[in-house]
Amino acid sequence: MRSVLGSRPWLTLALIALVLAAMPFVIDDNYLLHILILFLIFAVFATGWNLTLGILGQKTLGHHAFFAIGAYTTALLSGTVGLSPWLTLWLGVLAAALAGGLIGIPILRIRSMPHVAIVTLAFAEIVKLLLANWKDVTRGELGLWGIPPFPAIEIGGTTIRFGAGQIAGSFALALLAFVAVHALVLWLLRGRFGLTMVAIRDSQLAAESLSIDLTRSKLAAFALSAAIVGLSGGLYAHYLQILTPTSTAGPEMLVTLLAMIILGGVGTFFGPIFGALVLTALTEYLREYGDLRMLIYGATVTLFVILLPRGVAGLLTRRGRPAAAGDEPATAPET
Amino acid sequence: MTADLAEPAARPAGLSADPILALEHVTVRFGGLVANDDVSLTLGERRSLALMGPNGAGKTTLFNVVAGSVRPTSGRVVFAGQDITTAPASERSRLGIARTFQITQPFSTLTVRENVMVALTAAGASMKDAHARARDYVDFVGLGLKLDDPSSTLSTGQRKRLELARALATRPRLLMLDEVTGGVDRPSIPGIIDTIHRLRDERGITLIVVEHHMDFLRALADEALFLHRGQVVVGGPIETVAAHPTVRNIYLGDADD
Repeated sequence: MRSVLGSRPWLTLALIALVLAAMPFVIDDNYLLHILILFLIFAVFATGWNLTLGILGQKTLGHHAFFAIGAYTTALLSGTVGLSPWLTLWLGVLAAALAGGLIGIPILRIRSMPHVAIVTLAFAEIVKLLLANWKDVTRGELGLWGIPPFPAIEIGGTTIRFGAGQIAGSFALALLAFVAVHALVLWLLRGRFGLTMVAIRDSQLAAESLSIDLTRSKLAAFALSAAIVGLSGGLYAHYLQILTPTSTAGPEMLVTLLAMIILGGVGTFFGPIFGALVLTALTEYLREYGDLRMLIYGATVTLFVILLPRGVAGLLTRRGRPAAAGDEPATAPET
Repeated sequence: MTADLAEPAARPAGLSADPILALEHVTVRFGGLVANDDVSLTLGERRSLALMGPNGAGKTTLFNVVAGSVRPTSGRVVFAGQDITTAPASERSRLGIARTFQITQPFSTLTVRENVMVALTAAGASMKDAHARARDYVDFVGLGLKLDDPSSTLSTGQRKRLELARALATRPRLLMLDEVTGGVDRPSIPGIIDTIHRLRDERGITLIVVEHHMDFLRALADEALFLHRGQVVVGGPIETVAAHPTVRNIYLGDADD
């Protein structure tokens, strides 16, 4: 699992968490901290998506739908129905997980990866169209605004507030979610779950011949992956307090998140974190370049892919040595 | 080879007592191509059967029918008294059928040890237990020095051994070896044959072997089934099959396809 996790993954994760935890104390700029909050949320999103895309090797291109499902479920249940966001966040996670399981069922029957990509992409488009056209409930592209923030909590006499203007509390909450999700995923990847996922990615045929139930394993991975992405959607909704179908389930979200995973390192544990950091920062930094923004963005991603084909995380993992010489090549297949 | 003297006398395929595996009138069609045509066989426990035939004879298809990666168009597959015709490969593995692959299928981003751990944890072992026990299987196939190397660094022959270790970790009753010596350097082959003999003699594993080289087959198998264009030409003790005029003509002489 070293090519997935790198060496000493717990230490690396702890160091990343410590550096991030120190940020509010060394950065005295709310705008920069706002960018870091978005990075933390998108890192959770990218890590969740990477579970099916990279670790399980299924070319799923519709995870922005789970982000939107998580975000809209919690936003509507808290804003319209009036439930506490602390509860509705988890209902959003549940809704995303169920949707993940649902889309997982047809995906299991498809062995061709381009078809998996098309089906999942179509699913995301359906979700976006539903959100855009169900105007009575979602207000369509006008946007769902006024989403309540997470209610304040009091710890040791200090009141911690959350939401768009509450940078310290929002940063703490996003960091907590970031650390909890990554610790959970790392713990799972270091166990039977991780071995099973990578085995399925490397050879479904061999994995199945060793008693691995492909259906159960893939469905579990889809549901977990969608749940994590749904969680990031919920955090996003209650932080920014406004959602539109296009900003959550639109093509720009798809491209940005895919670029984060690819640039960071598909199928590596730390890759999506690095990718999310680089691209969240780049997206914000390039805002002042107007029309040139997407050109520079595209060129940067292309450059990274050329220079670091295994992503930023590839620098942390050792390359396998080439096969030893001396043996004859494998024989050709037959009936 | 002395251990073989303790074995019961070779019986023709189709006449084995106490069969662990039975194929009943198995036919496999791929569109217009008939890969296996009404093939029947029974295989007794602790026996070893060679599937023989020229390229395109349907050996690997029949092998895949037993392993579960190809479903027969008609006919039945019975393993240890249970009809497994429609059971997926994972279910067959749990029942005790293990296999290696003609074109090796290592989990290439995992180490040699982790490859074996996949099989052990899938059978319910804890990670700690699997980590410790994987070494035994890796040592058994002679890859001990490569234990924690990435499997992507293995040669073809070493990958064949890795697949053997992985298959053994499922504790099979029936082990199916698809060209286990294919791509292996010749000096390594006697070692592989010896390993396979130990599997059968020490662990009581029944074997089905697909191989091209007659010398290996004679060393590995008690019984043989000779296929040609999907049909059974002859089955029985390996020496009887090898001496069959059609077999000599097609397989040992100048093959006609």
